[in-house]
Amino acid sequence: MARLELNKINKRFGDQVAVADFSLAVADGELVSFLGPSGCGKTTTLRMTAGFELPDSGSVIVDGVDVTDLPTNKRAMGMVFQGYALFPNMTAIENVEFGLAVRGRPVAERRAQVAELLELFGLGHVGGSYPHQLSGGQQQRVALARAVAVKPGVLLLDEPLSAVDAKVREELRTEIRRMQVQLGITTILVTHDQSEALSISDRVVVMNRGAIEEIGTPTQIYAEPRSAFTAGFIGAMNEIPVRIVSGANGIVERWGRRVTAPGAAGLPDGDLALLLVRPESLEPLGTTTAALNGDLTLTGQVEVQTFLGATTRLLLRELPGGADDGSALPPTQRLAVDVPSASAGQWPAGSEIAVRIPVAASRVITDRSAERRTRGVQ
Amino acid sequence: MSGTSITGEATEETLPAVVSGAHAAGKIRRRAGRGKGMPLWATAVLLISGVYFLLPLYATAVFGFSTGKHFSLQPLWDGLGDDGFHSSLILSLTYSIATTIIALAVVAPTAYLVELRFPRLRATIEFLTILPFVIPPIILVVGLSSMYGINSPVNLIASSWAPVLLIGGYFVLTLPFVFRAIDNALRAVDVKMLSEASASLGAGPMRTFLSVIVPSISLGLVSAALLAFTTAMGEFTLAALLGYPTFPVYLLNVNGYQPRMGEALVLVSFVITWAGVIALAAVARRTPGTQERSASAPWLSGPRPIVRGGGM
Repeated sequence: MARLELNKINKRFGDQVAVADFSLAVADGELVSFLGPSGCGKTTTLRMTAGFELPDSGSVIVDGVDVTDLPTNKRAMGMVFQGYALFPNMTAIENVEFGLAVRGRPVAERRAQVAELLELFGLGHVGGSYPHQLSGGQQQRVALARAVAVKPGVLLLDEPLSAVDAKVREELRTEIRRMQVQLGITTILVTHDQSEALSISDRVVVMNRGAIEEIGTPTQIYAEPRSAFTAGFIGAMNEIPVRIVSGANGIVERWGRRVTAPGAAGLPDGDLALLLVRPESLEPLGTTTAALNGDLTLTGQVEVQTFLGATTRLLLRELPGGADDGSALPPTQRLAVDVPSASAGQWPAGSEIAVRIPVAASRVITDRSAERRTRGVQ
Repeated sequence: MSGTSITGEATEETLPAVVSGAHAAGKIRRRAGRGKGMPLWATAVLLISGVYFLLPLYATAVFGFSTGKHFSLQPLWDGLGDDGFHSSLILSLTYSIATTIIALAVVAPTAYLVELRFPRLRATIEFLTILPFVIPPIILVVGLSSMYGINSPVNLIASSWAPVLLIGGYFVLTLPFVFRAIDNALRAVDVKMLSEASASLGAGPMRTFLSVIVPSISLGLVSAALLAFTTAMGEFTLAALLGYPTFPVYLLNVNGYQPRMGEALVLVSFVITWAGVIALAAVARRTPGTQERSASAPWLSGPRPIVRGGGM
């Protein structure tokens, strides 16, 4: 039996559909992320799970019990808020202890449990400090310790890391995962940060305009997105125009070169479509422009180099590859190519570069879905 | 001291002689900004306001602590020994404390609910609470006496419920101050998020209000209490016209027949109010976790408390 079930949840705010027909079952001890742009309904779904909002229809089931109409304080869920929500008049210890005190646990038991949790979160030395005396990262650790102190059936994390700086964010997300696995708490994480969702989740629910676009493991979501929205939202993605030559055989054409591409099968002949390919899949070919093994190539001029650590991203302006057949990159669009930083020096800004577009690592979608994706992201 | 020897350690006395060049001038201005030397205009303003506030007190003291020819504490001893002084002061203190408690008990939960659940009602509530500023107390007296006076539908004045009438009137008069102070404090903390956090930890609404919200707005509550208390202690119109022998009413009467004693007692009341204000401010400053949230009652976290109006 799933620990948490959300069944056909719907919610409107006035004319606006906030959440539409949302159904999800979360297994015991699983960490599921709700990922999507602002306004996609992820926080509203979490708030309905917590009991802060009532769904217009649908039900929230915890351990087989319908809690849809129960107030928050009777639901046995822990919650961590974006803005920490620590009680300013209480020390770190008192904050963590609060839920246990509400449950009427004996003082000695409370203190022992709080001490243990503060150690688990590396807060042993700041137990007597008030929230305003703590750093952002420490405050969020206290908030986490406070939420898990009551041993909640489900832990809800509402963008818990968006208020802390980048370095602390990475530390904390690892810590959240470590704690979640160690304590075996069923957890829902709401985030708009894809790296956060992909790095620590068992499954990711990609949401767009109130509805679920796709549910899958981080690897599935990243490598084999089933929806165009997911493909565009997760990670950087190049969109290269191609023309469908034969929908029946999945053949597309670009600058006069024809290749068989995944996803092209069944699309109407003659239509323009988009070939989606990630920057790290593109391969520099030096100065040769010959296509290899049934792949496409693209020649461009390096406009900007962006150092990303192990890799460097080159932004290319495409150079015409022949007679214009409508498949040139739009003038404002740049192709992103990730190359190892060690070799990035070969392609300084202004230099020309040919890249191989490995068709096997790409996916063709119709232009209409591309348009839909763009709208969704905005 | 020669100009060349001056660096960052310039003292106030040496400054005029040695300041030269923009760099040095900038340094001096920064030092002044940190409060070492006060600009001339600020000193003047401080001096003028000091005289404006202290001169009446000085005049009161000169008149009250004198027999007419030389300094004497006799009027003070006479006043402190007067029966009317004791009874009226106790009456005023009782009514003021009752008003303060009732105002906090009614307004704090109301303002909390408005902030949390009924934000659309805020404008209406705000309008209602400032009515006492718009409608003079005399109108309140006329209304109260025609409704609750002798020969009126509900005769409260002649009954044992008489204190309720005056406390009720005081409550209305303190509303603008009390609501503002509490509302500002509530808006300075994220009431909704704190309440949700508390609920997620299993606390019911009452526990949340008492354990989380009230301590988080303690500075606002203290300032609201101060304002309610001083307003009620100094209120004259309602008490005099409805016939309650409160302390301000007594002071006015005494001034008619024993003016020196009256003035001596005015100073006593001033000291009492100040002692109360300082005590409350001290309590507020010791409240944990409030150092960064003094926006609702800035005077409570400053070095010196400031009294509104002056009480009586």
